[in-house]
Amino acid sequence: MIGLISNEMMKIVNRKLTWIILFLLIAITAGSFVMNKLTEEPVSDWRAEQSELIERYQGQLEIDELSPQMHADTENKLQIANYRLENDIAPVSENPWSALLRFSGLIEMVIIFAIVIAADVVSREYTSGTIKLLLIRPHSRSKILFSKYISVAVFALCMLAIVFVTGYGVSAMFYGFGNLDTTDLFLNAGGEVTEMNVFLQTVKMYGLSFLPILSYVTLSFAISTILRNSALAVGISLFIMIVGNSIIEATSRISWLKYLPFANSDISLYIFHLPARPEMTLGFSLTVLAVYIAVFAGLSWMVFKKRDTA
Amino acid sequence: MKQQPIVQFKHTTKIIGRKTIVNDLNFDVLAGEVFGFLGPNGAGKTTTIRMMVGLIKISRGDILINGHSIASQFEQAIRHVGGIVENPDLYKYLTGYQNLKHYARMVPGISKKRINEIVEQVGLKERIHDKVSSYSLGMRQRLGIAQALLHRPALLILDEPTNGLDPAGIRELRNNLKELAHQEGVAVFVSSHLLSEMQLMCDKIAVLQKGKLVSIENVQAFISKDSISRVYLEVEASQTELTKMLIADLNKTAIAGSGPNELWIQMNKDEVPELNKLLLENGVRVLSIHVQERTLEDKFLEMMEEEQ
Ligand SMILES: Nc1ncnc2c1ncn2[C@@H]1O[C@H](COP(=O)(O)OP(=O)(O)OP(=O)(O)O)[C@@H](O)[C@H]1O
Ligand SMILES: [Mg+2]
Repeated sequence: MIGLISNEMMKIVNRKLTWIILFLLIAITAGSFVMNKLTEEPVSDWRAEQSELIERYQGQLEIDELSPQMHADTENKLQIANYRLENDIAPVSENPWSALLRFSGLIEMVIIFAIVIAADVVSREYTSGTIKLLLIRPHSRSKILFSKYISVAVFALCMLAIVFVTGYGVSAMFYGFGNLDTTDLFLNAGGEVTEMNVFLQTVKMYGLSFLPILSYVTLSFAISTILRNSALAVGISLFIMIVGNSIIEATSRISWLKYLPFANSDISLYIFHLPARPEMTLGFSLTVLAVYIAVFAGLSWMVFKKRDTA
Repeated sequence: MKQQPIVQFKHTTKIIGRKTIVNDLNFDVLAGEVFGFLGPNGAGKTTTIRMMVGLIKISRGDILINGHSIASQFEQAIRHVGGIVENPDLYKYLTGYQNLKHYARMVPGISKKRINEIVEQVGLKERIHDKVSSYSLGMRQRLGIAQALLHRPALLILDEPTNGLDPAGIRELRNNLKELAHQEGVAVFVSSHLLSEMQLMCDKIAVLQKGKLVSIENVQAFISKDSISRVYLEVEASQTELTKMLIADLNKTAIAGSGPNELWIQMNKDEVPELNKLLLENGVRVLSIHVQERTLEDKFLEMMEEEQ
């Protein structure tokens, strides 16, 4: 099994596409943090700034067109700003962990790239004809497929780690290495303002995001295994991802949508207390994702095991 | 050495949709023989090979390799098989060496030394660290053979292996395959429609036609059985009728050839002196006589025509 996985890793690593993706991943991550630094304005008096923010938030809340999620987000921020003034707690000074938390969008980039790699790993063997020589070895088809799946999963995990490390490295150049004990105000699952460890929140967000990444990887992998077409797998997966983002909004109105993977695939919603529906919890989302992963993986396994290889 | 069967076809049948593509094959391939699998385009050779290596399911019947069913004991059965199916499709974006390493990792106990040995054997030493995308078809064919032999299989399956090889390469392959079979006891199963090639390479030849086995024979018997050389005769025009009568006495039929005085007869080469004597004794002036021996190709084409 180790041999099979190192084979698959060798095939991923020796492709040009992989290196283009890794380059983009690092460039975009570093670029985002640099841009953020350049547009930053220094704060002289945090109390005045918070009061200003409160006024702005209140103004926003009076606008009707605000989407439910934006509305909830603004309310949360308002709540935290008020709490700061009442309890005289200054915002934390800029540090790598807080910066990483703010860039949760980078996780979506990891998802997109992971979809592209996952779409190729099985269908490419078919289009290049190499599947024949791969399958006539003393290994069951299940093992071959599993080794491919593990390899893309590991690769996706590496990309996530690269984003984390690059983001941390670039921010550390601007803000210093940061202190592991730094705390900041967050809303807990009950919606109360709580002081939490920023480093742990960051690790939680990036760590748990592996599950949504894996669910898109599995989707793309399954489509490409079943249809033997990587372009379709990328297309369908990206389409679902984009449509999925708008479904998060609709989920607040239509209850059963919460059982679809979309409203569950953004872990940052739980870090910032923005569940699509009040009854949805982190555990619920992770369970839904795990079920989808099992279903997609099972489907591709059944098809791959049975199919005549022409 | 008693030759044991490496492959046993047992009523092997493949049906796709409503079409029977391979129909009830029953034969053995023995250790130490080069077995030719001959058939025109679309006969079902590749389909049969795909079943042998478990790429496609067998609709009815089974195939045993070293006594293990490829359908129900895949891993034990395939362990002793090496092969190329259709084209030598390898990973183009990897080097030749990386390709071999890839396949070596899939079978326990293949050392670096073995990889180097096989590279040397197929004559790819100079280019083995180049990307396969830069290889010629012949070089890919060689690399394909290298990956097939890497784990010292008891059965080597090659689908049209001479495809893309130059004449020197073909001769080399022929000698390698013979050596592998005769010295090391490997069962070599080769499909092809390059008939003349099969004649030189194989010990035994099976002919497949529309999915059915129509003949299976040792290569010598295959060529010489049923007489079947053609004897061309040229006699004086006035004597052709006499000649025909004399030949009829031998229980043969003389057929008019392309020239006005030309006749031809289906007969064994060793009957020619007899014929010659008869004609002389009866005063026929023979202008020329020559024997055209049938190649495997002739026999094959005839067989195909009969089947139509
Ligand atoms: N998946 C399939 N679906 C339908 N028909 C098929 C399929 N695969 C093969 N066939 C048919 O089966 C027949 C045998 O094909 P096969 O490739 O085994 O022939 P072959 O003897 O290898 O021919 P060639 O000498 O051209 O390589 C052909 O008529 C082909 O069209
Ligand atoms: Mg063929």
